[in-house]
Amino acid sequence: MSSPHVLSGRRGQVAAAALVAATLLNAALFGSNGATASSHREAPLIAGDPAVDNTDLYAFVSPDNKDTVTLVGNWSGFQEPNGGPNFYPWAEDAQYDFNIDSDGDAKPDVTLRFMFHNEDRRKNYTFLYTNGVVHSLDDQNLLFRQRYDLEAIYQNGQRVKLVNNAQVAPSPNGPASMPDFKKLRDQAIVQIPGGGKVYVGPAADPFFADLRVFDLLYGGNLSEVGQNTLRGYNVNTIAIQLPKHALALKNDIHRNPNIGIWSATSRRSLKLSPGKAEAQGDFVQVSRLGNPLVNEVVSPAGLKDAFNGLRPDQDAGVKELVDRVVNPELPKLIESIYKIPAPKGNRDDLAEIFLTGVTKKLNGPIKADLNSQVNNADVDQHRFRASEMLRLNLMIDPNPKPNRLGVLAGDTQGFPNGRRLADDVVDIAIQAMEGAAASGKLVDALAAGDKVDAPDPAPEASFPYVALPHNGMAVNSNGNSATVAVNPVSNISNLDPMAMTTAVGSALVFGGGFFLWRKRQQQIRKYGSHSK
Amino acid sequence: MKYQVRQAVAVGLLATAALAYLAASGPADSRAGGAQPEPVPVVAQQNEMHRAVHQLQQRLHGLPEDKASWAKLGASYVELARVTADPTYYAKAEGALKNAGDTGLAAVGMGTLANARHDFHAARDWAGKAIAALPASAEAYGVLADALTQLGDDAGAQDAVQKMLDLKPNTASFARASYHFELHGDVDRARDAMTRALTAASTPEEIAFCHYRLGELAFDHNRLDEAAQHYEQGLAARGDDMALTQGKAKVAAARGDVPVALDTYRKLVNRAPLPQYLQEYAELLEANGKAEEAAREYDVLSEQQRLMESQGASDDLAAALVAADRGDAMQALRRAEAEWSRRQSVFVADAMAWALHVNGRDAEALAYSDRANALGWQNATFSYHRGMILAALGRVAEAQEALVQALRLNANFSPLQSLKAGRKLAELRGGR
Repeated sequence: MSSPHVLSGRRGQVAAAALVAATLLNAALFGSNGATASSHREAPLIAGDPAVDNTDLYAFVSPDNKDTVTLVGNWSGFQEPNGGPNFYPWAEDAQYDFNIDSDGDAKPDVTLRFMFHNEDRRKNYTFLYTNGVVHSLDDQNLLFRQRYDLEAIYQNGQRVKLVNNAQVAPSPNGPASMPDFKKLRDQAIVQIPGGGKVYVGPAADPFFADLRVFDLLYGGNLSEVGQNTLRGYNVNTIAIQLPKHALALKNDIHRNPNIGIWSATSRRSLKLSPGKAEAQGDFVQVSRLGNPLVNEVVSPAGLKDAFNGLRPDQDAGVKELVDRVVNPELPKLIESIYKIPAPKGNRDDLAEIFLTGVTKKLNGPIKADLNSQVNNADVDQHRFRASEMLRLNLMIDPNPKPNRLGVLAGDTQGFPNGRRLADDVVDIAIQAMEGAAASGKLVDALAAGDKVDAPDPAPEASFPYVALPHNGMAVNSNGNSATVAVNPVSNISNLDPMAMTTAVGSALVFGGGFFLWRKRQQQIRKYGSHSK
Repeated sequence: MKYQVRQAVAVGLLATAALAYLAASGPADSRAGGAQPEPVPVVAQQNEMHRAVHQLQQRLHGLPEDKASWAKLGASYVELARVTADPTYYAKAEGALKNAGDTGLAAVGMGTLANARHDFHAARDWAGKAIAALPASAEAYGVLADALTQLGDDAGAQDAVQKMLDLKPNTASFARASYHFELHGDVDRARDAMTRALTAASTPEEIAFCHYRLGELAFDHNRLDEAAQHYEQGLAARGDDMALTQGKAKVAAARGDVPVALDTYRKLVNRAPLPQYLQEYAELLEANGKAEEAAREYDVLSEQQRLMESQGASDDLAAALVAADRGDAMQALRRAEAEWSRRQSVFVADAMAWALHVNGRDAEALAYSDRANALGWQNATFSYHRGMILAALGRVAEAQEALVQALRLNANFSPLQSLKAGRKLAELRGGR
C-alpha cells in the first residue's frame, strides 16, 4: 500500500488517520488482493425461477373414486413454512400445462392449461398479505389473492373453459393468522361442471428421498442415507381430478386405456426493439416433466438445459437423449463403486419404461402389456412415436395395499405405471437402472435404496390427496421440522443484517447436498449439467 | 480445499463496528465440512445465495473431483461479490474455477468473473467458448450480452439479450432487457421489463436488485416518491442491501433532509468504502458547505483508488470521471483515454467528452458527447456534460437546452454537479 505522503498539515494528519482507518477497512473487507467491486452495472446472471419450476408430476387412478383419474403437479419447491411474510406466488405471465397424449403421437390431444392473475388489495399501505386472522378465502383480512382460469385445449383447436376465476389457497401464514388452514384449503377446491374437481394452492411436498443418494453415487458411499431431505417444506400444487373417459382416446377407456402425461410450464418472454414494436414476446417453455428423475439421471450433460425446452415429439430425434436412455451412466457408476455388475448391452428395458411405455407390441425385453398407448385399440402403430412421458393405464384399479416399489414389486398400479404420491421413485429408479424391470428381480444389495420410504406427512385419503401444507413450522438444519420463533417482517430489517450473514455462513443449512440436488432442475437449466 | 480460506483478520480492531461480522462471514467456507449441524435461524431464507454456496461447498468436500460444482461455486462467488460488494469473492471465484476443468460451465464462470473485473474482451471470448459447449445456456449468452454492452457493440448485445430471453425468460434476462431499453431511452419499456424481472425474482437478493433498479429508473427521472417506495420495498426484502441504502440516502438528500442523508452515507461508507459511495458522500458534504469533511472523504477516495491501482485492479472509467469532477485535468484525460483504447461504449465516450472538456478541448469533447448520446439514453449526467461543453463552445441556446434537459430528467443527478448545472444555466440566461 502506498503511504499518504501527499498529505501535510493538520488536515493532512486527520486525513492520514482516516486513510489508515480506510486501509485497515480494506484489509478486513477486501483482502490484500481485492479488486474494486464493479463500477459498471451488474445484474444477476444465475437466477432461479421457482414459480415456474415444476418439481414433480403424479398421475394415478383416484384411490377413493376409481372412475376418475387424478393429476398432481408441484411447482416452487422448498417453501419455508415459517409463517413469515412470504407469499409464494404462481406466475401471472405463465402457462401451467398438463398435456395428455392418448394416441401415442407424442403430441398433446388435450392440454389442461392453468393461468393466474393477482388480486392485490394491499395498496401501498403494507407489504404483508394478511391483516389479522384469516378465517375464509373471502376474509377481508386476506389482502393478496391469486385467481386462475382453467381451459381444456384440444388438438383440433377447440378450447373449453373448465374453471373461471377460481381462487388459489394462500400460502400458509402461520397458525396465528391462519388457525384453520384446512378450511381454507377445502374452500379452494372447485367443482368442474360435468364432473371433476380442482385444487390449486400449497401442500406439504409429497416428494420424499434422501437426495444425497445421487451425490454419494459420484464418489461417496451409501452408509449416510436415511434422511428425508424434503421433509418439512411446502410446494405449490395443482391437483385435478377428471372422469377417466375425459382423457382417453375417443373417450373410450375400455378400448383405449393408456394415456401419456407430461407437464410443460412456459413463461412469456420479451421482444427487444426499443421504442418500436410491441415488446411482448412468445411463451417460452422453461420446465418440462414426465417421469421423475429423467433430467437428473438420464439427460446427457450437454442436453440438460435443452431438455426443459424440448417437446416430446422432438425426443426421438435427439440422439444424445436416446443414447443416454439405452446406455445410462448410473449403473456404471454403481458398478465402479459397489462392484454390482451393470446390465450388459443396450438397455431396451429402460427405453420401454421411459420412451414407449411397457408393451409386448414393440418387441421390448419387458414381456408385459402395461401402459403404452400403442396398446390402445384405436391407435395406429405407424403413427406411434417414442417420447419421454409418464404413462398410465387407466383400467388398473387402485390397489388397496399399495407397495412403494410399484410395478417392480408386482403392484401394477404404481410407478412406472403412472405415479402415486407414495411411490418410492428414487428406489425404483435405482432398481430399474440396475435392470430389475427386465430381470423381474430386485437387486438385493441396493434394496434399501435411500432408506427413506414414505412421504411425511402421509398423503390424504381423498382429494386433493396431497397433505395439508406445514403452517408455521420452519425447517431446521437437520431437514426436520422444529418450532422456531417467527419474525414479522418489520423485525427482519431491524436485525443486524451482518449477523444474519454470519449465522447463515457458519451454519450447516441442511444435511448433505440435497438442496443442490433438489435445485438441480433449475441449476441444470442454468448450467447445462451437474455430472462430470 | 484447494482455495485458500481467508482468515478473519483484524476482527479485534474492528469489533466496535458491525464490520466484524462481515470479516467473519465473508469466507463462509471456513466452516464448511467438519462443523456440527447448527440450528438455522428463521432468517436463513434471507440469504439464499449463501445457502446455495454453502451447499456447493458441502458437496465439494465429499466430491472434490466434481468439476461442475467447482464451476457453479466460482460463478456463485462472483454473484456474491456483486451482492455483498466484497471483492474478496473474486479471488475465491478464481480459485474455484481453477478446479472446474475445461467445460462450458467453467467458461460461463470465467466469463462472469472477467466481466466483473472489467476484462470485457476476455469475457466475450469466454462467452464464445461457453456457447460452443452449451448452446442452450441462457447464462452463456448473458456473459456475452454483458461483455458486448460494455464493449459498445450494441447490435451484438441486443442479439445476445434476445437469445437469452428466447432461451429463458427470467429475472436475469428481463433485467438485461430492461437495461437495453434504458440505454436506448425507452424508459417505459425499461420499467416494464424490470417489473417483469421483479415478478420472476425469488431470492431476496434478486428482489432487492429489481427494486433498486426500479428505484433508480424512477430517481433518474425525477420521480422521488416512486423511487423511495422501491428502495423501501427492496429493503423489506433485504435489509442489509447497500445499493438500496444508497438509494435511501439519495432520496433524503434530494428531499432536502441533509442530516439523514449524511448520516446514511456515513454509515454506508463505513461499511463499504466503495469509490462511488465515497464520491457521492464527499459531494454531498461539499454541496452543504462541509468542505473540510468533504476533503477528508475525497482523500480516502483517492487512497482507495491508489490502493486498487497498486493491485492491478484499476477502474479507469470511474477514475477518469472522479478526476474530471475534481479538476485533475491531466489525470482525467489519461484515464479516459486508457479506457477508450480498450472499449468504445457510450459510457466511455461520455468520460472522454468530460475529460476533454476539463482540458479545454471542447470541440473534440463534443464529438465524443455525440457518440455518448448516440443510443438515445436519457442520462442526466451525460446531458449536463454536454451542456457544459456546448457552453464552453459558446453555443448558448443548445447549452441551455442540454442543461435544462439534465435537470428535467433528474434535478438530483449529483448533489454537486446539479448545483453547477443550475448555476451555469442561470449564468447563460443572465448573459443573454
